[in-house]
Formats: sequence, C-alpha cells, structure tokens
Amino acid sequence: MSDRLLPSRRVLLEALVLVFFAVAVGLSLNYALVLRAFSGRTVVVKSASLNQPAQQFPQPVDYEELDDLLATGSRFIDARDAHLYADSHLPGAISLPLGEVDQRLEAFSAQVPRETSLILYCNGFGCPDSFDLGVRLIAEGYRQVKVYEGGFPEWRDRGRQLETVEKR
Amino acid sequence: MKKWSYHLCRLLLAGVFIYAGFLKGRDPVAFAGQVAAYQILPYAFNYLVAATLPFIELLCGVLLLLNRRVQPALLVLFGLNAAFMLALFSLVWRGLDIDCGCFHPGAEEGTGTSPLMALFRDAGLMLAILSVWVFRPKQAGEPLDE
Repeated sequence: MSDRLLPSRRVLLEALVLVFFAVAVGLSLNYALVLRAFSGRTVVVKSASLNQPAQQFPQPVDYEELDDLLATGSRFIDARDAHLYADSHLPGAISLPLGEVDQRLEAFSAQVPRETSLILYCNGFGCPDSFDLGVRLIAEGYRQVKVYEGGFPEWRDRGRQLETVEKR
Repeated sequence: MKKWSYHLCRLLLAGVFIYAGFLKGRDPVAFAGQVAAYQILPYAFNYLVAATLPFIELLCGVLLLLNRRVQPALLVLFGLNAAFMLALFSLVWRGLDIDCGCFHPGAEEGTGTSPLMALFRDAGLMLAILSVWVFRPKQAGEPLDE
C-alpha cells in the first residue's frame, strides 16, 4: 500500500518532462518580457482601464536615471498603501497611496508645489498604481511626473538605502 | 464511491488550474507585479515566474481534464501548491496583507483574496490533490474499482 502512495521513478521523470515542456512554452511566448526584465530595461506598463492621450501619461524612468534626477531636486512619491510606506520606503519619499488620493490630495498639494519634478513608484513592474497616480497628478496640474517602474523591489534588491517611519 | 471521488476531485482541480493558468498567462506583466508584492524573489525573477508558472498550471489542468498522465500532473501540482502555501504563510508571518494574485492578476484593490483566505483555499486544493492520488485507478487504463 505504501508503495502505491509514493511516486515511481517513471512518474518523477514524466513530471520533470512536463515542467520542462511548460517552461519552454512559457519562455518562448514571453521571451521578450523576460529578457527586458533581466537586462534591467523598462517594461512599459499601462493600466488597461486608461484610454487617454499620450501626453496625459507620465514618462517611465529607468533605475540608471534616478540619481541624476534626485540630484536635480526630484522627489520620490510612494503610491503604495500607507502601512507598506511606514515599514520601508525610498529615501525622502512622500506617501500618497492611490486608494487615498482623494482624501490626501489637498494636503499633498500644499506640501508639494506643482512645478516639482515627481518620481512615482509602487511595487515594481506590473504594479499599475504609480502609473494611475501619475495620470491623476498630471490632471491636477503637475507637469513633471515620471514613473519608476522597477519601484520598491528593484531599489531594495540593488541594496540601496531605505527609510522607515519612526514608530511612537 | 472511490471512482466518483476520483473523477470529482480530478475535474475540480482541472477547472481550478486551467482557470488560474489562463488568467495569469494572458497578463504576465500584471502577474509579475503580484509575485513582486510577495517580496520573496529578486526582482527580475518575478518575471521568470510570471512567464512560466501559468503554463505549468495550464498543462497540468489539461492533463487532469483529459485523464491522461494524471500522476505526473498531480505530482507537479503538489509541489506548486506546497510552494504557494509556503509563500502565503510567509505573507501571514510578515503581516503583509496583499492580494494573493492566485487567480486574477491586477484585480481592483479590495476585490482580491487575503493571504489567510488563500492559505485555507490552497489547503483545500491540497486535500483534493491527495484525494485524486489516493483514489486513482490501480494502473493507467485499468478499469476503476466499483
């Protein structure tokens, strides 16, 4: 009975072949995406719900451009949930979660002048919140809005400095 | 009874994994974002997972649906489900309340499944996987026990 509950060598081999085949199919269909991600280039992500003219879209920026932008006065804006921001965020970032933008926008506008260059981020490639927030901020009159699509995960994985909110 | 349990669980698993694989496979970028939110893998590897995992789920689901190569498909799904449960457990442990991304990558905030609920659901799927394994016919092509 116990022999019946354990997989045979043939079954193990077939399982390996199955995984190998599925991975090969997945990679052949998505090779461009995987290559871009591993080469550190930007994967352009646009929310499917947005059908606005191109000039309304924030511009994507790569990791390599960040230091120059920060040196010239750009500010990070964290579009993730407030508790994620409190745990850890990029240096100097201001929290503006997409889900709370209506409640926080007034205070944000008072704190951040419209001519400020903004670099929005969230949970990395595939996370649409920073892009959607960028469209909203452009509509509110901010003109220099960029999206760092590698976001928090890429910054963290490159070993860069992070900040946390001091807990009382 | 064994025969019906076997077919019921097999078809349930086939439906679940074909559905999950299809939704994730058609939007790998959004799925990569969900994988990244787990904060487990180095960032580019989230894409590797997003590009390949849905096809593993799809293939296993199709094999279960066709009642072909059921054992290897179950073995792979057992491994995948165990990995999912570990990842979900790590979310609960770290207090990260993100959408699990199990079925609908890029779901609206608040409409996804919490890690704890997803953990319970995966435990149910694990039970179904083990049921199909235990109740499977003695040999491929052999008539089932009545």
